[in-house]
Amino acid sequence: MTEPASVIAIVAVTGITAIIGARGVRVARTPADFLVAARQVPAPLNASAISGEYLSAASFLGVAGLAMLEGLGALWYAVGYAAGYLVLLAAVAAPLRRFGAYTIPDFAEGRLGSSALRRAATATVILICGFYLLPQLKGAGVTLQVAVGGPVWIGVVVLGAIVTLGIASGGMKGITFVQAFQYWLKIVAIAVPALVLLAVVQHPPVSTVTGPAPPTFAHRTAVEFPQPEVITVAAVVDVTTSGEIDGVARHGPLVLTKGNHRVGSGATITFPAHSPAPHVAANPVMTGAAWTSPLLQLGGRPDHALAATYGVLLATVLGAMGLPHILVRFYTNRDGQAARRTTAFVLLLLGCFYIFPAVFAVLGRMEAPGLYTSGQTDSVVLVLPRIMAGGELGVVLGALVAAGAFAAFLSTSSGLLISMSGALSHDIMGGGVRAFRSSAIAIGIVMTALGLAVLNISINVLVGWAFAIAASTFCPLLLLGIWWRRFTWVGAIGGLLLGGLASSIAVLLTIMGVGTTGWPAVLLSEPAIWTVPLAFLTMIVLSLVSARAIPADVTQQLLALHLPERVRLPSAAVRELVAQPGS
Amino acid sequence: MTSEPVPARQVVRSQARRPGGRASTPALDDLYEPDAYGRELLTSLMRAQGAACLTVLLPALALLALYPLLTAIFPWLATAQVLGLPLTLLILGGGIYPPLVLLGYWYVRRAERLEQQFVELLKEQ
Repeated sequence: MTEPASVIAIVAVTGITAIIGARGVRVARTPADFLVAARQVPAPLNASAISGEYLSAASFLGVAGLAMLEGLGALWYAVGYAAGYLVLLAAVAAPLRRFGAYTIPDFAEGRLGSSALRRAATATVILICGFYLLPQLKGAGVTLQVAVGGPVWIGVVVLGAIVTLGIASGGMKGITFVQAFQYWLKIVAIAVPALVLLAVVQHPPVSTVTGPAPPTFAHRTAVEFPQPEVITVAAVVDVTTSGEIDGVARHGPLVLTKGNHRVGSGATITFPAHSPAPHVAANPVMTGAAWTSPLLQLGGRPDHALAATYGVLLATVLGAMGLPHILVRFYTNRDGQAARRTTAFVLLLLGCFYIFPAVFAVLGRMEAPGLYTSGQTDSVVLVLPRIMAGGELGVVLGALVAAGAFAAFLSTSSGLLISMSGALSHDIMGGGVRAFRSSAIAIGIVMTALGLAVLNISINVLVGWAFAIAASTFCPLLLLGIWWRRFTWVGAIGGLLLGGLASSIAVLLTIMGVGTTGWPAVLLSEPAIWTVPLAFLTMIVLSLVSARAIPADVTQQLLALHLPERVRLPSAAVRELVAQPGS
Repeated sequence: MTSEPVPARQVVRSQARRPGGRASTPALDDLYEPDAYGRELLTSLMRAQGAACLTVLLPALALLALYPLLTAIFPWLATAQVLGLPLTLLILGGGIYPPLVLLGYWYVRRAERLEQQFVELLKEQ
C-alpha cells in the first residue's frame, strides 16, 4: 500500500522544517537567547505558534481514533485540551509573564527560593515531556505505515532519529515562524479533507451511527492487518483471504465461523457488502446508542463512566498549564496583557481545530468499519480520504493529512526534546552546548526505545497520561505559587514528589495490565481524579506546617507576579535580574 | 564531563517595561514598603484579580461538569437527537467551544479594566 504522494508530502514537510530551522542557527539555552525571544511578537502570530507547538499527534490523529473506537465521549479529551487554555488564561498567563521566569524550574526557584525544589521541578519536566514524547513517536509509526507499508516500528525509529539529529546538530529550533506555519498547515490538512469528505458522503449519518447494530461494511471491503490480531466474528461470513488465518496460510475463499480467529501480520481479509464488521477481541463492540453517549467509556465499558469523564477533564484542563514546552512560548509576549490576549486567541484557534477530529470520528464509524476489524482506529484520519474519495482526489487528500500529521509530530516532539535536553543539561549536567547535545542524543535514543514498547496503546490515552502527571505536579505548583502567600518550598517539593509518583505509578500499573475493570480500572487509568486533589492537599498542608520557610521576600515576589507593568518601580526592574551563585 | 569552566548559573528574568522609565508616584513607593499599607494594596489587587479569575472559571467549570452529570442523571440525554444529529456530536464536536472562547474574551477585557482602575487608584493618591 505504498503511496508515493504521501511519502513526498512527508519528506517535503520534514525538509522545509529542517531548512527553516537550520537558518535559525544553534540551540543554546543562554540568557541572550531568551532575550532575543523576548522580542515583541504580535498576539495572533504568537497564538498560532503556541497552537502549532501544542497540537500534537494526540490532537491530529488520536482524538478522532479514540472517539471512533470508544465513542463520542472521547471528544472530552479535545474539549479539555482547549478548555485548559481558559484556566491558563485566567489564572496563570499574565502573572507568569510578569514574573519573567522562562521555565517552570526557574519560576519555582525564583518564587520559593530553593535549589532543591528546582531540581525536583527539573525531574518533573523530564518525566512529563517523556510521557508526551512516546505518543508522538507512535503517531509517526502509524503515519509512515499508512504511507509506505511495513511494520509500525520503522516510523518510530525514523522520527526519533530525525528529531534527535536535528536538535543535536542545532537545527530545528522552535522558531516562532516555523511553529505558526505548522498550526496553519495542520488546520488546513485536517479541515480541507474533512469538508471534502462531508461533501462526498452518500447516506445520512444518523442511520449508521446511532443504529443498534455494530457497524456493517457498506461495500465489499478488503481489510489489511499490519499487526497480528485476534478478531471476534459475530456471525458466519464468507470471505476471501490472503495470509495466515488461525495459524494456517490461506489464499482464496474461506468461511469464517462465529467466534475468535487469529489473523497473522500482513494478512488481508475481504468481507462482502452488508456484513457486520468483526472487531478486535480486546476492543469493545458498541451499539450506536452507547457510541453516541457523551460519557467517556473506558475500553467501551459503561461502568463508572461519570468518574472516568471527570478524570479526563481534570487531567486535560489542569494539565495544559503544566506542559513545559508550551510555557516557554509565553515569554515572546510583550507583557502580561499581551500574554492574556495571546492565550484567548489560542483558545479560539484550538476551538476551530477540534471540530474536525469529531467529523473524522463519525465518518470513520460510517465508512471505515474495517478499522475496528484490524484494530487500526488510530489511523482513521490518515486512511479515510483514500477509502471515501477514490482516485486522484483520495491520493491528494491522503498526502495532505499525512503532511499535517508529520508536521504535528515534528513540531511537538522537537519542542519536547528541546525542553528535556535543556532541563537535563542545564540543571543536572552543568550547562553548555556540548552537554545539551549529548543530552539530546541520549534522551532521543532512550525515548525511541521506550516508544517501541508502547505501540499497542492508543495515542490519545498516552497523551492523556502526560496531562494527568502535569495536572498532578505543575498545576498546583503554579496556581499556589501565583495566588497563595503562605506557599513554601517544603510544600512544593512534597506535592511534586507525591503527585508525580502517585500519578506515574498509576499509569505504569495500567501499562502493566493491573486493574482492568471496575474502580481499579478508573482510578489507575484516569489517576487525575485523585492525584490532583492529593497534590494540592500535600502542598497546602506541608506549607502550613513549615511556615518558617515562607520566603522573606514573598511580598516582592507577589508584586512581581501581579503588578501591571505600567506601575512598576524602576528599582523593581533592577531587582528582577537576580544573579545566583552556581550550586 | 567537560573540562571547560562551568559558568555561574543565572536565573534569567525579563526586565519590566516602563513607558519612558519615569519616576514613580509616592503611592507606588508605598506599595513596595514592607509595612501594612503596602501589603494591603497588594492584597486588594490580588483579591480583585482573583475574583475576576473565579467569575470566568466557575461558569466554565459548571458548563463542563454539568453536562456529564445531567447525562448520568437523565440517560435520555445521551441518545437525544437535534436536527437529525446526535446531541453529543453537536455539543462536544463544536457547540461547547464558542461559550469557552467568549468567556475567555470577556475575561481579557475585564482583567484589563481592573488593572486600569488599579493604576488610576495609585495615581489619585
